[in-house]
Amino acid sequence: MKGVKGFIALLILFSILFIPAEPVSAEDGSALQRVQDQGVLVVGTSADFPPFEFYAVVDGERQVVGMDMMIAQKIADDLGVELQIQDIGFDSLLPALEARNVDVVIAGMTPTAERRRNVDFSDIYFRTFQNIMIRAEDEDIYDSIESLRGLTVGVQSGSLQEELAEQIPDAEIMSLTDLNDLLLALKTNRIEAIVMQGPNAEAHAGHDEDLHTFVGGFEMDDDDQGSAIAFRKGEDSLVDAVNESLAEIKEQNLIEEYLAKAGEYMAQTELDEDGEEIEAGFIASYWEYFLDGTLITLLISASAVFFGLILGSLLALMRLSKVFLVKQLATAYVEFVRGTPLLIQVMFIYFASGMFFNLPALTAGIIAVSLNSGAYIAEIIRSGINSVNKGQDEAARSLGMSKNDSMRYIVFPQALKNIWPALGNEFITIIKESSIVSVIGVGELIFQTRVVRSISFQGILPLFITMLIYFALTFSLTKLLNFYEGRMNHD
Amino acid sequence: MIKVNHLKKSFGKNEVLKDINEEFSQGEVVVVIGPSGSGKSTFLRCLNLLEEPSDGEIVFEGTTLTGLNEKDLNQLRQKMGMVFQQFNLFPHKTAKQNLTIAPVKSKGVDKHQADQTAVKLLRQVGLGDKEDAYPASLSGGQQQRVAIARALAMDPDVMLFDEPTSALDPEMVGEVLKVMKDLAQSGMTMVVVTHEMGFAREVADRVLFMDDGYIVESGTPDMIFSNPQNERTQDFLSKVL
Ligand SMILES: Nc1ncnc2c1ncn2[C@@H]1O[C@H](COP(=O)(O)OP(=O)(O)OP(=O)(O)O)[C@@H](O)[C@H]1O
Ligand SMILES: [Mg+2]
Repeated sequence: MKGVKGFIALLILFSILFIPAEPVSAEDGSALQRVQDQGVLVVGTSADFPPFEFYAVVDGERQVVGMDMMIAQKIADDLGVELQIQDIGFDSLLPALEARNVDVVIAGMTPTAERRRNVDFSDIYFRTFQNIMIRAEDEDIYDSIESLRGLTVGVQSGSLQEELAEQIPDAEIMSLTDLNDLLLALKTNRIEAIVMQGPNAEAHAGHDEDLHTFVGGFEMDDDDQGSAIAFRKGEDSLVDAVNESLAEIKEQNLIEEYLAKAGEYMAQTELDEDGEEIEAGFIASYWEYFLDGTLITLLISASAVFFGLILGSLLALMRLSKVFLVKQLATAYVEFVRGTPLLIQVMFIYFASGMFFNLPALTAGIIAVSLNSGAYIAEIIRSGINSVNKGQDEAARSLGMSKNDSMRYIVFPQALKNIWPALGNEFITIIKESSIVSVIGVGELIFQTRVVRSISFQGILPLFITMLIYFALTFSLTKLLNFYEGRMNHD
Repeated sequence: MIKVNHLKKSFGKNEVLKDINEEFSQGEVVVVIGPSGSGKSTFLRCLNLLEEPSDGEIVFEGTTLTGLNEKDLNQLRQKMGMVFQQFNLFPHKTAKQNLTIAPVKSKGVDKHQADQTAVKLLRQVGLGDKEDAYPASLSGGQQQRVAIARALAMDPDVMLFDEPTSALDPEMVGEVLKVMKDLAQSGMTMVVVTHEMGFAREVADRVLFMDDGYIVESGTPDMIFSNPQNERTQDFLSKVL
């Protein structure tokens, strides 16, 4: 099996390229220096967690606000640097930190023993409590941990609450990534309760009369009751500097001030009580999120199609080459990319690149989706080229055209026509699959939908709108492709 | 003009051409006949190196083609037009574009001039009104005439035909043979593989009979058709005539 050899060679090549010989870590005293040298503090957060971090319109511009962000601003001011906020999915925050995509993580994060194994934490800046969220109609039935015995309880995956939920006797636990999905599951009776961080639960219950929450009374370690800022291991100088700011915040009782301010931002997003007006008001309030998301989705898809076509053509020609090594290299690439999930590729490119230079999430996303679609397009093009009658190339060569000219002017244009429908399918797939880049915090359509769901406290309507937008995109693309297919048809 | 020395060609273990020696001179019209599978197409395709010979050499206008580099070979192929049984017109190009693409892209002929030549050649094959037609809208006979014009557009010194009328409906054979006859009369050097014995008798300067990878017999049409020497030639002709 020669293909296997090429494949292994490619794997080795990948490892050499992407895995540094020794872990880059622990620059004693220099972490603080580094941040001050670069003049900005890059803070990673997951902005679907009011009142800690969420989106609001400030001075006509949407930005991430909340208590944590005010703390971040104070820290940046104390360090004398600019603040830059990167909104990433909660699951991806610590990997992003370790991969150097961000300097610190401030996301209402609890410094559990498990997390402490991989990262360092600041002092606890906010003592919190853990709540149980239920449907308002069940207010009289469920009032304690014990009352939930044997029922289905939802938690955010990878969270502290996931561990706490085990204290509910015989409970069946359902873990989801997105808090909004949990709330939706609760409202649609799929689960009976959610274990949620206290202030966050209160924020939601306060905006939704169908929800009710109470303090859970879970047994917790001291550590588990607070939020702290996460750092890469060994960056003590930075930790110390941040702790100083935190101490000041505590001294001056700034947290309360911050929370009050966050409450004001949340009030902005409040909606009408009346059912019908909600819908009109909904579009009016959030259309910008959908527009932004749609534009970014289009940008990613268009770039991926463009670069994917170039890369795909190149790979297809390499696979048709007579040179063994060239052919095997392309084959290995195609097989490898098609044999691994796009999700992993996106995360790999984003995090692996973070070890060397700071690639913006959008760029990383575009690169990953392009590299991925290139492999699929290569296969489509190759089959298209093979589908062109051999006599076409022979006729061209008999006229004295070179191999390249024959490919370029005679074979390729015909191949393109043959594969147009398959290419169209691939383009539509790209539009839909590009949503995966939301995991690294790229603000495309799915990401914005998540944002809207968290700030509007609406579960289903944003999903429905997003579905319509995707359909409008793919449907018009289909029409456009059909139009061009018609124009190419001379038979 | 073309000299073939000890040409051999095998596909895997199947030896299709077994030591062929032949010479085609300037202005000569040679018709190649023989039973199916005898190697006629392979022989023709070896002449312009569409098939790579396994052994022996092809010399064209003083240059040895076998073993020549890609670039020089492309240049020399421009001087050897070829017409295929299946026409092989470029379906995504109009008749005129079929004639201009190679001169413009590979020979560096000026676009305007190539257009003029194309129009002239299409008229010459009786298709002056089909410039902008796509191949799919043309009949088989018309397509083959465009294919001939396409080869002529490169201004070749020799034309190779591989059964140019075999894929045609009978009523269209005549129009293509007519074009070929005119071409022969204009002095073009031609090598024609065909089953059209009438054409061979009328137009050919020389007829080659191929069987089982050898050129078994060669002579004027009169000699071959009226007085074949070899037993296999006699056998073949008794079946087709
Ligand atoms: N590309 C190829 N690969 C393998 N074998 C081939 C190839 N081309 C031709 N052959 C074989 O070579 C032999 C001669 O074929 P060729 O096409 O030259 O015969 P022909 O005289 O032109 O026959 P016909 O009158 O049927 O066209 C046949 O046995 C054929 O199967
Ligand atoms: Mg043949």
